[in-house]
Amino acid sequence: MKFFFYLILVLLLVPLQTTLLPHLSVWNIKPDLGLVAAALIGLFAGELEGLLIGLTIGWVLNLFSAGELWLSLLTNGGVGLLAGFLGRQVSQVTSYSLGGMLLLVSLVSGLLAAINFKGLDISQVWWMAESIVVPQACFDGAVGAGCYWLLSRRFDLTRLRTDRMDGLL
Amino acid sequence: MWMAHSSSPYGTKRIALACFALLLVALFLFPNQIQGLSQYLGGPVGYAVSVPLEAIASIDTGIADRWEQYVALQGVREENQQLRKENEWLRGQHSRLRESAAATERLTALLRFKEQALPTMVAAQVIGRDATNRYRTIILNKGESDGIKPDMGVVTPAGVVGRVVKTTGVSSVVLLVTDPNNAIAGLIQRTRDEGIVEGTQQGLAQLKYIPLLSTLRDGDRVVTSGLIGDFPRGLMIGTITHIDKQEGALFQSADLMPEVDVSRVEEVLVIQTSYGQSSKAGSGADLLEKPLP
Repeated sequence: MKFFFYLILVLLLVPLQTTLLPHLSVWNIKPDLGLVAAALIGLFAGELEGLLIGLTIGWVLNLFSAGELWLSLLTNGGVGLLAGFLGRQVSQVTSYSLGGMLLLVSLVSGLLAAINFKGLDISQVWWMAESIVVPQACFDGAVGAGCYWLLSRRFDLTRLRTDRMDGLL
Repeated sequence: MWMAHSSSPYGTKRIALACFALLLVALFLFPNQIQGLSQYLGGPVGYAVSVPLEAIASIDTGIADRWEQYVALQGVREENQQLRKENEWLRGQHSRLRESAAATERLTALLRFKEQALPTMVAAQVIGRDATNRYRTIILNKGESDGIKPDMGVVTPAGVVGRVVKTTGVSSVVLLVTDPNNAIAGLIQRTRDEGIVEGTQQGLAQLKYIPLLSTLRDGDRVVTSGLIGDFPRGLMIGTITHIDKQEGALFQSADLMPEVDVSRVEEVLVIQTSYGQSSKAGSGADLLEKPLP
């Protein structure tokens, strides 16, 4: 059951991200749903699943992007792993803490990508950070926090996470 | 936030960290091999993902078409009148160009130029945009199974769109002419000076490395030079809008307004073989005028 859920998620994420999200972009900036999905899976299913699904999402999205594979894997896999640790170490994750984590990860990943661009001088890197990286990080954080808030209204998330931890112990 | 006092399962944590670290080390040590492996494994995944991708893209196109047909009809009358005027002007231009073409043909025959074969092109539909905000790319519904390979040029009848950078079995990713990572050999049509066209961060393009003595001016048209890459000579890239000539610099550069509005492009042609490699005969204009499927 879980496998099919992940399969459908990965298959639908690409058309969502590449076809539908451009219509919902604000100032040509769209959120990274792969990052948000990996973070939520890591939080609720643990670091291993977060990592594996994050890596899969990163790899599949990279097939439809001109970006570097290592960065996509590092960002999506890393956020799944980090969210798993966050879910284990912090007893009460809030939408703010998840949003903050996503903002930071997105910021670091965007800056790494900007630095990795060939032939850009410092002013162009700064322009990219200012007009793409920071707005996208804020967008990713807000979407992640919003998704977590919506899920918390529908389900008892603390219990979900505690059950998962009890199962592992 | 409270810190949980539960003992963590170190086995899972260690496995996760070790797997991740191993993968990253492999990626940094063997980037080309891992990229190749990823592309190879991505073949079947590309097929699987293309099913919902094409389905959603066709729904999206359908909704956009309905919108254009029924809702966005405001100002159509004025636009129609303007287009009629433009059409009349273009007809006049067309007849003059036909005359020029006939004259060129006669002169070519006189000079006994070797007849050039025309490029083979495959039509494709745009089904998506880049998954990230950092690159300007479009996703096409044709891939390796249709003979599309990385580095092939992508055009519309209006001009250059970009070049293919990645392919799966049934889809391909095209890096647009407005992306800073793209570089195409360009030629100023009037002065015949060459340069390199690169995208800018702001989503426009720039012609770099123009000789210092070039007499270029605003409004000059820039076409492909056909010297490097998979673009044949003479495809429109854009129009010069601003010239940057700095004191003591070795070259000039100029800002370009791309001929194709790449943010709205829906159908494109992928150049499979450039001039001189194809066995088909005909005229280049005929090929570009072919209606898309």
